Amino acid sequence: MEMLDEFKKYLAKYVEISPVEFTMLEPFLQIRNFDKKVKLVDIAEEENYLNFIEKGLVRKFFYKGRDEIITQIAKEGDLISSSVSFLSGVPSSYVVETIEPTTFISLSKQSIEKLYAIHSKWQRAGRLIITDLLVQKEYWELDRMKFTTKERFVRFLTSNGDLFQRVPQKYLASYLNIQPETFSRLKHFLRKRFAENNL
Amino acid sequence: MIQTIDIGAYCDFLFQFIQKFGKINREEFDALMPYFKMRYFEKRTIILQKGEVDDYLNVVVQGLVRKFIRVRGNEITLQLATEGHMVQSEVSFHTRMPSDVILETLEPTTLICMDYQGVQEALEKIPSAEELGRLIITYMFIRKDSRYYSQLKNTTRERFLEYMNVHPHMLQRVPQKILASYLNIKPETFSRLKHLLRPAKI
Repeated sequence: MEMLDEFKKYLAKYVEISPVEFTMLEPFLQIRNFDKKVKLVDIAEEENYLNFIEKGLVRKFFYKGRDEIITQIAKEGDLISSSVSFLSGVPSSYVVETIEPTTFISLSKQSIEKLYAIHSKWQRAGRLIITDLLVQKEYWELDRMKFTTKERFVRFLTSNGDLFQRVPQKYLASYLNIQPETFSRLKHFLRKRFAENNL
Repeated sequence: MIQTIDIGAYCDFLFQFIQKFGKINREEFDALMPYFKMRYFEKRTIILQKGEVDDYLNVVVQGLVRKFIRVRGNEITLQLATEGHMVQSEVSFHTRMPSDVILETLEPTTLICMDYQGVQEALEKIPSAEELGRLIITYMFIRKDSRYYSQLKNTTRERFLEYMNVHPHMLQRVPQKILASYLNIKPETFSRLKHLLRPAKI
């Protein structure tokens, strides 16, 4: 199925999978479609899915008082889930919500447990994917400490320029831990600098 | 580094430590044993310097290891690992890239370690190691996520009280400045918050 190609490529980064093995995997995959601004998981619910984004845009956040603190913005080719709830079974402390209409390729907890039991290859894929999530998380923390507000802004702009068009500014500001006013100021400052350099 | 301690003395500690993650029988455990080694460090020893590739997954048997990063002249403490905790530069260990973080002992410290090569070999050769590895990494991921969550979600006062209630002895073991940094609290605020602990002590 063509829709699964990107997911196949994603898995191939971690383990070698033969066409036969992938055919065995297919019945465990669920294609799930959501409109924009739909919550997949809410606070206190249990997360039952690990989701790969085939198309669309999704954010993960928690509430601090009335503020929404965004900890992940995920696009095509990314995994998103209320991962601690998914991995440990505790109620979710996060909301996972679509920003755009989104198509997911999802694996339920039960499916993953079955896959683990079928072949150690899936155990290995699981281990390597979780390792990657752990490493990403540490990078995220260190980047927040190592770089100044302006550096974080520029780094994000350089590596995720497309998201500037797709994601509401207040979401990006929250994700980068930058005050919305500072965010606007940095945007204008950089726009001016780019314009000066290009002309 | 002095390496005179026999790992055999810590067999039970290690067996119990591993049981926390997944069921493993004595036979599989015996197969794993050759991959472990002991390391011993005096107090205030840098065991991983910035720019080195971290080659070890360490479990603290006794002592205390601090993980920190230097940023614009400041030291920010990221982890305080005591008995039974795992400590390493996860990024450096898994990506084989030079470490940004520094590991330093705050007390004389005994570690049980497995090096990167050992981990890969054990995963290849011991059937149950793959599952065990996954469960350990899952645990590390959950711990890390929970810490970030509490750092971002909780107020200074909540962070202070939550930590001090669970780890009251750390005030004796760790310089206040380092504890304050770990909890992301200004040293002056930290001193002020200490009065909250007094009634509980009497």
